[in-house]
Amino acid sequence: MNIRHTIFLCLSLVLSLLHQLALAQRAAKLSFPYAKEGLTKEEAAVHLLSRFSYGYNAADVKETMEMGLEKWFAEQLAGSESDTTLARRLDAFKDVLKSNQELYSLYPKAFRVRRQAIEEGVWSKDSVGVAGNSALLAEYMASKGYKREKELIDQFVSAKVVRAVYSPNQLRELMTDFWFNHFNVSFSKGECTTFIPNYEAAVIRPNVFGQFLDLLTATAQSPAMLYYLDNATSVAATKNGRKGLNENYARELLELHTLGVDGGYTQQDVTEVARVLTGWTVKPMAEPNRKGNQKAKAGGRRENGDFLFKAATHDRGTKTVLGQHFSNQGYDEGLQLLALLSEQEATAQFISRKLAIRFVADTPSTVLVDKMAKRFLDTKGNIAEVLVTMVNAREFWDRDVQRTKVKTPFELAVSAARSLRGDINDPVKFNNWVSRMGEKKFYYIAPTGFPDYAAYWINSGSLLNRMNFGLNFANEKSTGVSIDLLAPLSFREPESMRDALKKYSNNMLPAVDTERLLERLEPLLTVDNLQARVGRKLNDAAADGSKGQRKNKGTQEELAQVLGLIIGSPEFQRR
Amino acid sequence: MVTRRAFLKSSGIGLFGVGLLGGIPSFLADVVAEHKRASLYSKRKVLVCIFQRGAMDGLMAVTPFDDKYLQAARPDLYVGPSLVQGKGASIDLDGRFSLHSSLSPLERLFREERLAIVHGIGSPNTTRSHFDAQDYMESGTPFEKNTTSGWLNRAVGLLGHEAITPFSAVSMTPSLPRSFYGQNNALAIQDLKNFKVQERASLRGTAKSFEELYEETSSSLLRETSKESFEAMKLLQSDVVKNYTPAKNVRYPVSNLGKSLKQVAQLIKLDVGLEVAFTESNGWDTHYNQGGPNGSFARNAEDLAQSIASFWEDMDGYQDEVVLMTMTEFGRTVHQNGTKGTDHGRASCNFILGNYVDGGKVYGDVPVLATENLEDGRDLPVTTDFRAVFAGVAHDHLQLQDADKLFPGYTGDRFALWKK
Repeated sequence: MNIRHTIFLCLSLVLSLLHQLALAQRAAKLSFPYAKEGLTKEEAAVHLLSRFSYGYNAADVKETMEMGLEKWFAEQLAGSESDTTLARRLDAFKDVLKSNQELYSLYPKAFRVRRQAIEEGVWSKDSVGVAGNSALLAEYMASKGYKREKELIDQFVSAKVVRAVYSPNQLRELMTDFWFNHFNVSFSKGECTTFIPNYEAAVIRPNVFGQFLDLLTATAQSPAMLYYLDNATSVAATKNGRKGLNENYARELLELHTLGVDGGYTQQDVTEVARVLTGWTVKPMAEPNRKGNQKAKAGGRRENGDFLFKAATHDRGTKTVLGQHFSNQGYDEGLQLLALLSEQEATAQFISRKLAIRFVADTPSTVLVDKMAKRFLDTKGNIAEVLVTMVNAREFWDRDVQRTKVKTPFELAVSAARSLRGDINDPVKFNNWVSRMGEKKFYYIAPTGFPDYAAYWINSGSLLNRMNFGLNFANEKSTGVSIDLLAPLSFREPESMRDALKKYSNNMLPAVDTERLLERLEPLLTVDNLQARVGRKLNDAAADGSKGQRKNKGTQEELAQVLGLIIGSPEFQRR
Repeated sequence: MVTRRAFLKSSGIGLFGVGLLGGIPSFLADVVAEHKRASLYSKRKVLVCIFQRGAMDGLMAVTPFDDKYLQAARPDLYVGPSLVQGKGASIDLDGRFSLHSSLSPLERLFREERLAIVHGIGSPNTTRSHFDAQDYMESGTPFEKNTTSGWLNRAVGLLGHEAITPFSAVSMTPSLPRSFYGQNNALAIQDLKNFKVQERASLRGTAKSFEELYEETSSSLLRETSKESFEAMKLLQSDVVKNYTPAKNVRYPVSNLGKSLKQVAQLIKLDVGLEVAFTESNGWDTHYNQGGPNGSFARNAEDLAQSIASFWEDMDGYQDEVVLMTMTEFGRTVHQNGTKGTDHGRASCNFILGNYVDGGKVYGDVPVLATENLEDGRDLPVTTDFRAVFAGVAHDHLQLQDADKLFPGYTGDRFALWKK
């Protein structure tokens, strides 16, 4: 063993010890008062998993109970569990982890490709737009090694689905989703499309449990956000009176990202914030060594990854935001501003309420929100600490908040896959169903992000599609997931159809009164003598023995129908 | 949140008209009967909106044809009533403006004075980003990004009565458009026939099982919504809906827009309570080889005009209740660009069709296209705020109460387009 190897081993040991220590410290701070609220440990485990995972089944509940609820949560907060199965599945979508510069080069916009082809003389100007142009375009792109943007979006959505279904770090995935939606950007705005994968991977995901200010700063400096809300083009007003100021980002920064709409700022504050952030833009991707950029450097530019501060376009005058003055500090003004916003009481309240709405109830108790906001202020915006305060609070375990949240379409689909240990074979198809149920992920056009309350997700059209999703999912039709219908039955023949039904619902809806559900499902069991037929077919299937032959088609169809009813049932829509 | 329990209250005529009574639950039939008389005298008004995404070249659709500056700026694109002879010549509407030949199906409606055109329409916000301009036009607040609702959703809320059916606001699109975001119930449906629980022939009873499960759930939101869903589903699954054929001799184009408008017509005739319908026409972003009498613009224009004309013909007998309006996020540059197309500009034009519309006129203010008259020296200037036109249509056709709430922050006039 060479010395380097030894050092490495020692280091890993130390790191792992440190990790264990941190985990133990965290776990020591956790004490869930569910018993005081009259919950059994099992009920508490179900509530915990319903709030902090994308879905679960009876085995997950059992495992969590054995592990200890506090320890489970501590590990989720650490979010460091590795999983080689997940890594292997993500391998097919590895472009999403590329840098913005790489993606910009690999997935050029169609208009850039056309321009390039014309410049290179491959196409004449007249050939642009003629019939067959898409074939020409494809040919030229292939010759250059370019890929189409659609492929990048498909990879991104696929990686999202795969992570949600398989990641052992469920809370990190949920929080990534939460913060992405909070700091929403959208594929519907072409200017920021290329930069969205990196936005999620490098800006959001690493910061979901850390200091709020870090997250805020990272989003403020990301190309996706700079283009989405136009700050990239906002410059100081020029002497000839032409306005260069764009207030779009400034307004959302106050209203949606920090203080909230009633956060006590004025229109004047909005304008002043926009002035402070003039010059905050994106480093040119195409020609990094262009003359103009060299000049900008001489004028005092600052770079941070893809972010560029252009001193030449920054407003040097005095600005006042929430009574605090900013004057001629260039780049640092922006950082000071973000720090100022992140430590406001209004921000603490706004963020805490939004977290409580996401993880507890559509209308969370103000007592709970106040506790969280206080923790937010005490820790200068430490997100993990705010979550700990939330889950340690009695209000979190209140019986009245359980099963009150409605699953979003994405949550419904992923929870179905997770509870049945489905095998995702076509994540794009899977996501198409999510869109059909009303959640076109990453395409929400407004900077507010998707609303987070039940009535938004439940309407006549979407509800029928939820039922249809259940039926299609169970039949392995068009949802891109394959499942083993006999697995929840422990691969054993059920005594009857009713027995099968009971096993499914106990497995997928642990701690729900399944007797009631079964009663409601009785009508189906009498349809066309289903019970007798299924019982017979299950016996045949079980007699077949080997796992490979278990997929008896008739049995599948009828079991699937029952399973589809469970997934489409009101009980399964709730979280 | 508007209460949504009162399904089919006023759709009595439609139900009786198409003989659906046997197919619906008896309590519903009672409700229908009760409201039948009232409905007879208060036919529902319907507004049908088509968003032309990508920004239509208004100067090519409706051309100020004797403008020398325009002819000079567009050597490859300009088409006038006399410059291109025979097939492809544009149609002289009023001695100043001509209609692109591909829009010829609209000519008759214009001559019959039911079709009005507003030229120079656009947004006071000067953004030339598709995304922003569409967002602003659909939210109806051109300087306010985070308006959570769309203007058509607000319009539904201002109608002065509860949402009566799930079909009050329907978008024939795969997902809800920005215009329909908001507190009031709105549906996105691509295909009426697929508005159902996908039951297998061998296992009938699934829909019934779902219905019963939801009837007894403790969540009132799930319970009430599912009730609406199943009622709507039963209606749409009737043979009358499945075997729908348009009025005789009406043939819709086999395009997304044609299919959508056909289904809108179907919903209107069924009298299921439709009040605002929305659909889209795509492909107006003509940066390259826009073409003249033929080409990419012409193909889109033809689809638009034929779809609208077919719809209107299909609406025979219902036209008094219906107004159709087009919209597009902005217009295009006066000058053609280096690839025989046009880039993002400012003002465009739109079409408003209805029996009570004071049509046969090109409204608005289009100056001579000399550089000094153009916005930023390059674009047809916006002389009419889109909100003025939208608010006028909503007020005069839908007779909105509190119409001033439709466009928060807008203090301008309403455009008057209705016959006196």
